[in-house]
Amino acid sequence: MFTLLKLELEKLFRARSFYLSFLVLIGFVVLMLWGFYTYAERKTGGQAVEQFKYTYESKQYFNGLTFALYSLLFSFTLLLPIFVSMSAGSQIAGEARAGTLRMICTRPISRASLILSKFLVTALHALLLLAFFIGLNLVVGLIFVGWGNLELYPGPLNLVDAPGKIMRDEALMRFGYAVLSGTWALLVIAALALLCSVISDSPVQATVMTIAAYLTLYIVGRVEFFDHLRPYFFTTDMDFWRDVFKPDIPWQSLGHYACVCGAYTAGLLLATVVIFERKDIVT
Amino acid sequence: MWVKLILLLLFSLMIFGAVHFAVPSEREHASSSTERVRSVRLLTWNIGYAELEDDTRAHDKDLPAVADVILREDPDAVALQELTGNSQLKTLLGLLHGKYRGAVAQQGNGDRVEAVLVKDVAAVFTTVPAAGRYAIAASFKTRAPVRSILVLSAHADAFNAARRRRYTEALIDWAEDRTQSADVFIAGDFNFELKAANETNLYTDNLKHDSESYSHILRYFRDLGRDAGDTAINDRRIDYVFGPPAVEQAGRIEVLRSVAVGRMDHWPLLVELDVS
Repeated sequence: MFTLLKLELEKLFRARSFYLSFLVLIGFVVLMLWGFYTYAERKTGGQAVEQFKYTYESKQYFNGLTFALYSLLFSFTLLLPIFVSMSAGSQIAGEARAGTLRMICTRPISRASLILSKFLVTALHALLLLAFFIGLNLVVGLIFVGWGNLELYPGPLNLVDAPGKIMRDEALMRFGYAVLSGTWALLVIAALALLCSVISDSPVQATVMTIAAYLTLYIVGRVEFFDHLRPYFFTTDMDFWRDVFKPDIPWQSLGHYACVCGAYTAGLLLATVVIFERKDIVT
Repeated sequence: MWVKLILLLLFSLMIFGAVHFAVPSEREHASSSTERVRSVRLLTWNIGYAELEDDTRAHDKDLPAVADVILREDPDAVALQELTGNSQLKTLLGLLHGKYRGAVAQQGNGDRVEAVLVKDVAAVFTTVPAAGRYAIAASFKTRAPVRSILVLSAHADAFNAARRRRYTEALIDWAEDRTQSADVFIAGDFNFELKAANETNLYTDNLKHDSESYSHILRYFRDLGRDAGDTAINDRRIDYVFGPPAVEQAGRIEVLRSVAVGRMDHWPLLVELDVS
């Protein structure tokens, strides 16, 4: 198993798509910074542009932690799942397309171990992506805006019903928690993409199938006409990761939804293993 | 084989965990008319600060300015919101040189209260419970007393449209019951976010709740400040004076945009009406 993991890790670090995902995230952060900067300028006039740290409403609100939070919440929903899908979708289907899958399966390793090792490598990729993205946002926020306390208000982020505040050091810890909770949520996407990768012979098809399923449920879940269906969508359960940014973390709710996501992940993986063990590899 | 067993075990464990951590789930209105025409001037004002300030309630240092506005505009009744408590009201009444009497609503779960001020020394004040919050009502008579006038000072939840709706329904039920014996006016900060022009959400329940609340009020009362424009910063019209449908405008209906002081985010709404 460890040899298998080592080999899969080597494949991951040699793949161009691995580095491309980090580059795209850097581009996103640059875009966010630009948007944040011009928004502050529009709201406060030319003088504030030089300082960037103040608005006409409050001196504390627009700080680096708020910037990092907005950037993370905007990107998590649509950007990160794409990279996770790509990574997981290419695991089996990519090998099949390259013609190496049959050769791998002739080795004295179980197909289940192969699936598990590929999933663990994808999980590591997701973890690295999220840790890098959060770290980059915090560093950029510190350099360009400055850190302060994390002020939370009811509104577009839908995190709180009433104004709240998380002190700076505690807020930084919460970003650390978000790396873990976010990765756990993304594992559902990874497991789904791996299942699609086993079913399909093309990595592109596997990725598209995963993204299509995810986006369909996400969009439908955001329209309140379908409010009664939302509890049945895994995209709804995935949102639990954001709870680490509430002033008082709702641990019970967080535990519940983390377990639901875990059940999705384990169930999808089990289905993947069962299907792959019975799959006739012809390429 | 062992991989499948582990995955099955993990799956079962997660299902058990999810179940274990599961969070348990929680007018006929007819306005009467009299042969005598009476005019009444009402003012409503949320004198608190913008929501990003440290203390968003009314500040003592602003009370002289608030008193100046009241003395200058000379309303018959004033509805104020976001006072810190009775002591602040007493300070204000002192600055008004005894021209007004007033009362604050019972403090609910929040840290601020509504107040109503009237000139009539014989006015009767009543606390109005509304869905976990409290409004304050004053029943009084003006210069030509036939029917009494009832003015409620209200302040709906700033952050939750569903709570606003419950509050509004309870308030309107209470007010509507008294329209037979008095001319009822409901004045205050309702926080209805009804301007959906720039919304980016596909559809939200918040808009629906606010719309329903506002429509419910309009079944029994008229939005007297409708044409006066925005009453708060960020282009929001969230302060209202609702009154009997039959009431006529007697003079100004105006948002006094130049009188806010400190970091107030609301402007007072003044209405002058003929009550018949």
